Amino acid sequence: MTGRVEDEIRRILAEVLRLHVTVVAALPDDTSLFADELGLDSLAGARLIATIEKEFRVDIAAEDLNLDSLQTIATLRDFVTARANPGNGADG
Amino acid sequence: MTTIKCVVWDLDGTIWDGVALEAQPGEVLNPIPEVLRAMEVLEERGIVNSLASRTDPSVGDMVWRHPQLARRFVAPQLGWGRKSDAIWRIADELGVRLDAFAFVDNSPFERADVAAALPDVLVLAPEELLELLDSPLFRPAVATAEARGRVDRYRQEQARRHAQRSFDSRAEFLEWCQMRLSLAPASLADVDRLAELSVRTHRLNSTGETLHREHVARLVTDARWFVPVARLTDRFGDYGLIGAAFVERSGKGRCEGDESAWCLRLLTISCRVAGRGVAVAFLRWIIGRARAAGATRVLAQVRRTDANLEVRVLFRQFGLQIVDAGEKAGANRALLGRMLTGPLPACPPWLHLVEGE
Repeated sequence: MTGRVEDEIRRILAEVLRLHVTVVAALPDDTSLFADELGLDSLAGARLIATIEKEFRVDIAAEDLNLDSLQTIATLRDFVTARANPGNGADG
Repeated sequence: MTTIKCVVWDLDGTIWDGVALEAQPGEVLNPIPEVLRAMEVLEERGIVNSLASRTDPSVGDMVWRHPQLARRFVAPQLGWGRKSDAIWRIADELGVRLDAFAFVDNSPFERADVAAALPDVLVLAPEELLELLDSPLFRPAVATAEARGRVDRYRQEQARRHAQRSFDSRAEFLEWCQMRLSLAPASLADVDRLAELSVRTHRLNSTGETLHREHVARLVTDARWFVPVARLTDRFGDYGLIGAAFVERSGKGRCEGDESAWCLRLLTISCRVAGRGVAVAFLRWIIGRARAAGATRVLAQVRRTDANLEVRVLFRQFGLQIVDAGEKAGANRALLGRMLTGPLPACPPWLHLVEGE
């Protein structure tokens, strides 16, 4: 399930940052969200959190007071993977 | 000639005077009569009205509940993103080509942004729309040669403007806007606006606390406090005082007992300048002042509200992390902090800073 969560998170990042999906897909998973490659700002960050809540039902704003999950693609993936409803990714 | 099939309206300052998000509880904003009449005329002609407002989606309630505006708009877009994106979404939803769109906004900044991003869209100020309402552009039926000529001239004028304004990137557009951010300590003349800003801002407001006039005046004149204000101008005009901070300087018994820290008690920035990097520039400058004054740490108070997630992301971007989220901080409150070593986020290159004393 981790792979699917990560792909989806990369897709959401591309959407809120107005980057091409292939650009975000090619970045290593330890890429910092706030550094130049991605350049997350507060507005895009708030949209990222809102989109993740809608798609994964994971409320980062409430569950991650420090917003530590917003460090790298990997920290965000791990946070969401640990909390997303496991049923979402099951095959049946 | 393509006639217009959809008119996308801005809300605040275009459909009604005032800012919906800043309305007092129970206050009702009413559409400007000429604008309402124009929307009715468009509808009668089979032209669709839509909405693109840079505001909180909750403002939608004010629109959907308004007897004259409810059910008026197709595929309305309320949010903090760029209006050119909103127009894309409307075009997608309606299946209408962009050259059949008109966009009406009182803000020259928004008009220039949409004109640059979507050169096919007819971009108009509200008074221009009212003037052109009876032109063939807004009449599916054919009109007089004279009127067509007027529209052709208008199209040429648009083409000329677009030619001048083709940008390779958003950053290039923002650079062209010639934004000047003036940063200076507040004076007593700013007190009324500072109190107003603390009441009216929600999204970029770190604690949601309301400051009264007298309290603000006391802090502005107190040497223990640093109360900087930010003003913004661009090539379209002057936005006035759009940001303020209340910072406790270091000293004995202050700043939660850390004598070498500066403590940001309140940061508030107007939503009118959203999306331009003002918050990053302002906070970076404040922290720079703390560092220059010899502080080794910066603290920031935050209270989580339904509206201010963006401030929390901003603080995270600056590496501010919770140092106290316990009983002492109070419900939904936290004290954040970071040492003043290490890099800070860069100032957006399109913002030209002007420091005053």
